[in-house]
Amino acid sequence: MKNILDRNQNKADEVRNLLSSKKVLMVNIISSPGAGKTTLLERTCEELGSKFRIGIIEGDITTDRDAQRLKKYNIPIVVINTEGGCHLDSHSISKVLDSFDLDNLDVLFVENVGNLICPSQFDLGETFKLAVVSTTEGDDKPGKYPMLFREARAVLLNKIDLIPYTNFNFDSFSSDLKKINSQIPLFEISSTRGDGLKGWYDWIEDEINKMH
Amino acid sequence: MHEIRIAEDLSAIVLETARNESLTKVTKVNIIFGQMIQIVPDIFEFAFRETVRNSVAREAEVDIEIVPVKMKCMNCGSDFQVKENNFACNVCSSTDLDIIQGKELFIKSIEGE
Repeated sequence: MKNILDRNQNKADEVRNLLSSKKVLMVNIISSPGAGKTTLLERTCEELGSKFRIGIIEGDITTDRDAQRLKKYNIPIVVINTEGGCHLDSHSISKVLDSFDLDNLDVLFVENVGNLICPSQFDLGETFKLAVVSTTEGDDKPGKYPMLFREARAVLLNKIDLIPYTNFNFDSFSSDLKKINSQIPLFEISSTRGDGLKGWYDWIEDEINKMH
Repeated sequence: MHEIRIAEDLSAIVLETARNESLTKVTKVNIIFGQMIQIVPDIFEFAFRETVRNSVAREAEVDIEIVPVKMKCMNCGSDFQVKENNFACNVCSSTDLDIIQGKELFIKSIEGE
């Protein structure tokens, strides 16, 4: 039987081999629109920008607004406009890798298009997927989108400072998540206020160091 | 919406196969999707129809079989079907599991003449 996404998979394998030979960690960040991927990247660049050589691929349906927000960190950023497409694929990643000096890069963050289903199905050649969810979306996301939470290496629960203003039930969220992926690290953070970010920085720093 | 891209990749494979096998008409495409892929069959079929509408596959029937998620327990060796997103062995409760079914995006067969 033939895999329908063979073409995507083959290119993803190529990307993975290339990045691994260059010792570059690639993180495919997946979330709903507005969960806080860009703010998380802003904070992460501020914190880790002096320790590591960071690159960013911005998947955006039609604008370069997220990339504009990240320009101030003076790091290489490439925007991929999917022109309506709801996810990135390995061919679009492979094409833009030429724009990076991979010999002088430690980590490449890929901000996928905001969507919880489609990006989970397309391997980009990443080292791992990272799921970002926010409390304002509700506590039912792991149960509704099991593939992402099963495949992600870690989960960031963002906007924990807003819990008092929502009906988000942390116990229900956490128990659904543990049923799907019992070992997955969960970081409870607020990217705007700074809560919990230290745990995330330490963890991602470890992951970058593991590549060497 | 990932249905559209998957349908595009499928139609490329179907049309390439039709060319290689010198088919003048593709009559049926049999597909298996794992439940984890979260494909909506109606949307998928609609997208596939759009991508093949000016080709030898324009009248092809699309048969979609959706198979449930099954895991193998790395601790006790039993196979089981995952129900209600509960990824723990139903015999020994271990969470050390390997997926054996549920992520399929397969073409089982292409029929034509």
